[in-house]
Amino acid sequence: MPSAFLTIRSCLLVLSLLLGGCLCALIALFGPTMALQATVNGLVAGSYFGIGAIGLTLVLGVLKIVNLAHGDFLVAGAYLVVLFLWLGAPMPLAIVCSLIGTAILALVTEKLVWRPLRSAGAGTLQLLLSAIGLSLIIRFSIQFFSGSQVRTLGTDVVTAISLWSLRIGVNQLTALMVGLGTMAIVGLTLRFTDVGKDMRAFASNRVLAEVSGINARRIIARTWILSGTLAAVAGIVYATTIGSFNPNFGLAILLSLFAAALLGGPGNIYGAMFGGLVIGLCQEWSTLFFSSRWKPMIGFVLLMPMLLFMPKGIFGRKERQT
Amino acid sequence: MLKGETIAQSDKAKSLMFRPFENLLARVSGKWRSLSNRPAASLIAFGLCIAPAQALDLTVGALLELTGPLSAGGPSGEKAAVLALKVANQAAKDAGVKATVSLAVADAQGDPQSALSAARTLVDRKASCILGPATTPEAITVLKGVTMQRKITLWPLASSTRLRTVEDGGTVFRTVPPDDLQAEALSSVMQKYIGGQKSVAIIYRNEPYGEALSKAFAINWKAGGGRLSAVISFDPQQEGLDSEAGQAVAGNPDAYLVIDYPETYAKLGAALARTGKFDPKKLFVADTLSFPTVPESIPAQSIDGAFGVVGGSPKGTGAYSHFGRLWKEAGGVDNASYTANIFDSAILCFLSAIRAGSSEPGRIRDNVRKVTEAGAPQFTFENLAAAIKVASTGREIDYVGVSGEFRFAPNGDTTSGLYDIFRYQNGRQIPVEQISVR
Repeated sequence: MPSAFLTIRSCLLVLSLLLGGCLCALIALFGPTMALQATVNGLVAGSYFGIGAIGLTLVLGVLKIVNLAHGDFLVAGAYLVVLFLWLGAPMPLAIVCSLIGTAILALVTEKLVWRPLRSAGAGTLQLLLSAIGLSLIIRFSIQFFSGSQVRTLGTDVVTAISLWSLRIGVNQLTALMVGLGTMAIVGLTLRFTDVGKDMRAFASNRVLAEVSGINARRIIARTWILSGTLAAVAGIVYATTIGSFNPNFGLAILLSLFAAALLGGPGNIYGAMFGGLVIGLCQEWSTLFFSSRWKPMIGFVLLMPMLLFMPKGIFGRKERQT
Repeated sequence: MLKGETIAQSDKAKSLMFRPFENLLARVSGKWRSLSNRPAASLIAFGLCIAPAQALDLTVGALLELTGPLSAGGPSGEKAAVLALKVANQAAKDAGVKATVSLAVADAQGDPQSALSAARTLVDRKASCILGPATTPEAITVLKGVTMQRKITLWPLASSTRLRTVEDGGTVFRTVPPDDLQAEALSSVMQKYIGGQKSVAIIYRNEPYGEALSKAFAINWKAGGGRLSAVISFDPQQEGLDSEAGQAVAGNPDAYLVIDYPETYAKLGAALARTGKFDPKKLFVADTLSFPTVPESIPAQSIDGAFGVVGGSPKGTGAYSHFGRLWKEAGGVDNASYTANIFDSAILCFLSAIRAGSSEPGRIRDNVRKVTEAGAPQFTFENLAAAIKVASTGREIDYVGVSGEFRFAPNGDTTSGLYDIFRYQNGRQIPVEQISVR
């Protein structure tokens, strides 16, 4: 484990140096204002990509499920806040209720869909199709109850603060801090707590973990709870930073979440965090060179050569070598 | 006719076939006996006998944006179609013509595949013409997937010039002015309110409507001596639009032109306001950002004081006032942009069917230009009963709609456009003036 930690640390160092080098080059090319503003925008986007991707990669790593319904968990998180606000709850309470509600939703999918499918010995294709079905059920259920019109959380999306010549919305700054804080907490939890260690052991070798006394059902349930909660955080961060959303935003963001998870290394929490930040930064930096209409494509342009040279992703490859 | 059968034998057969009708007429007219042996007379008799008994039963399909990015205009569009059919049914009754028209509504959802599926539902429900959809990708998909091959006339609210270049078999008719006219309208409004020789930043959604309108505007603006500080397109599906907003304000332009839908402008507008350099009084918006009251999702700091253009109707006409009264009496949603166009499209479809004497889609298509014929007697929906009477005899008429006269070019576009210039103040749309563009 210490060697793995060192590997991750050195990998982070290389990645940080690489990103820092890119930023310096951009400052030299476009000036500090434009380059730093694009970086701030990229970090804000990276925060919800990162948190969303952690939940996705957690399920992928621990349970080996490609959860295509994960984007809709984000939507559920945002819409549950809308629901609780409508019921009269103050914002902090609405957010807490939303986190709990989305975690319960994720757990319910485990009980009603995933566990029966595992018991029936469903293959990868069946699991994939079930995930698509589940995604549609969640999305259209939300649409049925709330309508398909644009919603907001009623927060002030306009007020911004100036940092030198940079501008960042107050909501965006809050979301960025929440996003980075959540990533740090999740990272530390998985590394230093018993639950985190059990999860990582389970992800690494399920049979060995069960033989060594880890309760599989409990770990699976906790994985879903954590994944659902993180999805809700990502959904709320997205809704707060963007300002408006509809029930389809989960589908739109899902590809970026997958790109982040795969870029970092499937099943790797730290990889997903940094994958999200890298995708966010690269998308926003690309607007300095190309028309912003190509922005969504950039993540995938990055992903393809990365998968060719490092099929396990940046962090996945390093861990395998250890 | 069977092989080897003579013409005389064939005539005799026809004569026998139509005998019951001849007998019926013979009771009415004493002269019939002398004519009854002639096949032509038999045919006339057949026609005369069945014509009064055969009622026209038309179904008009409305492919509306009830959900999706343009859902703000869905309910008003449906109300306009319902009003048109109510007026048409009453007028047919007043004219003594046995014709009824009913409405079938489906949701296009702002998505081409959903629109296609909805259009198929309308066709299954026997729709002979389809009003809508509102976006160009939807209109092209529906045209190619369903309507063109069945000769069903499509009356899209989509205004992109891209629709012109698509093979449509003469089935597309637009009562909304095409976007090259809107580009001229935008250009002349900007020249009037900010002056020519000024710099403009264009921000448009990356799809046929945004691309074609931005290009047409850029040509017009530059031809008038204006400059473009930035031309920014964005993918409507993408999450944040802060970089795009930053690029738009970077050159400190004299004006901004935004070509977008309300749903996306909620994101873009917030991002523009966050830059701290954006002044909504310098903003000009295209027709899709026209709404009676600003939706809650769009921050006031991004739109209050903005100018806009939208296809209008000639004010001061009897038809315009009457339409306004009907709308008010019906209750429900507020009047919105392009409702008059939906109303007129439904009436035109009905009049075409009346003149064709059939609800067969191909025959309706062939009669659209006959009910909007320049030089023919003019009618409005106020004297629709008279129009129906004349059209049912097969004569040409010129229906002048609430949204004005219709002179359809060979590609189905109207050749002139009247635009309302408006401004947003305190969250409401305030009319400023009207301009006509040809």
